[in-house]
Amino acid sequence: MSQFLQYLLDAISVGGVYTLLTLGLALLFGVMRLMNFAYGELIMVGGYTMAALSDQPWPIVVIAVPVVTTLFSVLTERLAFRPLRNASPVTLMIAAFAVSTMLQNLARMTIGPIAKGVPPNKFLVTQTEVAGLRISALQIVTIVLCGAVLAGLGYLLVRTALGAELRAAAEDFEMAKLLGVKANLVIVSAFAITGALAGIAALILVWRQGAVNIEMGAQPLLIAFVGAVIGGMGSLRGAAAGGFLLGVTTTLLGAMLPQALVPFRDAFVFAAVIALLVVRPQGLIPAPGVRVS
Amino acid sequence: MMTSNRYLRAVETPLLLVLLVTAVALIGQLSGSPVISRVVVQALVWMVLVVGLSIFTSNSGVMSFGHLAFMAIGAYTCAYLTIPVALKRVLFPSMPSGLKWLIEIQSGFVLAILVSGVVAAFFATLMSPPLMRLGGMEASIGSIAFLLIVQTILSQWTDVTRGASSLIGVPATTTVIGAAVAVAISIILAWVYSRSRFGLMLKASREDEAAAISLGIRVGFQRSIAWCLSGFVAGIAGALYSHFISTFDPLSFYLNATFAAIVMLVVGGLINLSGAVVGVTVISVVQEMLRRLQDGSIGGLTLPAGSSTIAMAMILLFFLIKRPAGLMGDEELEFRSLKGSGSWFRKGSRGQADRTE
Repeated sequence: MSQFLQYLLDAISVGGVYTLLTLGLALLFGVMRLMNFAYGELIMVGGYTMAALSDQPWPIVVIAVPVVTTLFSVLTERLAFRPLRNASPVTLMIAAFAVSTMLQNLARMTIGPIAKGVPPNKFLVTQTEVAGLRISALQIVTIVLCGAVLAGLGYLLVRTALGAELRAAAEDFEMAKLLGVKANLVIVSAFAITGALAGIAALILVWRQGAVNIEMGAQPLLIAFVGAVIGGMGSLRGAAAGGFLLGVTTTLLGAMLPQALVPFRDAFVFAAVIALLVVRPQGLIPAPGVRVS
Repeated sequence: MMTSNRYLRAVETPLLLVLLVTAVALIGQLSGSPVISRVVVQALVWMVLVVGLSIFTSNSGVMSFGHLAFMAIGAYTCAYLTIPVALKRVLFPSMPSGLKWLIEIQSGFVLAILVSGVVAAFFATLMSPPLMRLGGMEASIGSIAFLLIVQTILSQWTDVTRGASSLIGVPATTTVIGAAVAVAISIILAWVYSRSRFGLMLKASREDEAAAISLGIRVGFQRSIAWCLSGFVAGIAGALYSHFISTFDPLSFYLNATFAAIVMLVVGGLINLSGAVVGVTVISVVQEMLRRLQDGSIGGLTLPAGSSTIAMAMILLFFLIKRPAGLMGDEELEFRSLKGSGSWFRKGSRGQADRTE
């Protein structure tokens, strides 16, 4: 029983992180059909910000990292994606690939390919034992932070005017524009929110890994990508569900697959993605108006 | 007179492209410099890959991010067939007993290349029922998933593929002439396909999918044919690559390589064969210049690692924004177009590039 609860706790904290990751990607896909490969590099930027600020007190780090990633995200919109506003999704996808490569190599140029250690705050690594469960402070912080961010995002999307405009744009961008939604405002805010989510994800990931390198964005990007496909591209509720489901599944697969198969976990996950695309290309909780041929 | 013109029109594009390839090959063959001939062979190998990619992408309008997986499959297949048996025994000490025959088999170079193409085409066939029934955007996403699956298996199945460690000892037998012949054959193959009944039907679906369906064209089936053929050519590119580089690992066929192939295709022009050939030629030259600029052999200034890749990314963005139809735009290379026509920048509007779904 306590073994099961342990898995459950791990699964929930991983699921929370994956949900954040997936939402960032799905938001942009919903609003402008952009599959943003540069999302992983935003996380890397956040990681290096943490490395640069590792001597500072934690409140400064926690605030500065999302701010920096938000600025970077908005900057990529201004420089690369705004001139492509009316391009096809595949053109956007290729452009995002270019931006991602560019950011990664900028980091290679300026920081170099060697990983840097960022030791997490002492408080985060403390472990307590409650009723046979090993609980680290980091797990609690992760769950609380993810919960707070998701609640905040939910509030923003459901209760505010901007949120209504974002949801309208995600549903039907042309129609939303006709009804007076300002395209630039909505798109820039979507990029800003994506950037902030990437920053928060970077905080949690670097706390967990204790190191940053220039390729650290690849894994979270894949997670976000798979989660978004599972949940239904462009549907925010679907993305959240997909990300969470993916986190829980990978944790459980990691715990339950025979030892010899664990290295192939990712291959199983991606095969499941293709299978899902075949059986239910619109995702588990599809965005409205998705056509399936 | 009229008829001879018609025959000429039918073959002039592949003829010109093969001439271009011959010129490139001659530079490599006659320069006498091993560095230049290496650059030329590499460019020719990439050309086989990008021509293969364009068989699918140009005709169907669906972008594939997964073709490097076919190249990887081709490269590994060819390596199993041509690494000397004694060396293979050392390289794969713990090959599972069911696959022991991989160590004992051995074949000549040409046969190995063809088998590599066939094996890649087999995997393409395996993937086409799930991927090709998807819409354009979803198929692109699915192709990424395919690339990731192949990458995971190659880098984790250590007993069979040596995992992340390099595969060594593939005989370096890809010559300038050999690579040029392979390019010429793949150009002719691509051209014949694109003018065939199947190619025309697929292009019809690229232009207007709904109309194509209403005319009874089975879009998914047509895409599958192009996908398998292009997988075959990409597999051959992988085989040639393995015999050119002779030491490689799974990461040789991952995102950086995918990026390079996409830059070549987009800069040349996404919607026709000439674009693929011209794009590889131009980008290979630019890449080599940048590489020399970066290590200081031109200009004498050493730039930090990564700056040449940044330049490539900027070129790609520039083309996507300013000239999305690529260098070739809507037109195949023809004798007419060599006479020069109008402003380079007015040709090719965004509308054309947006045929890619």
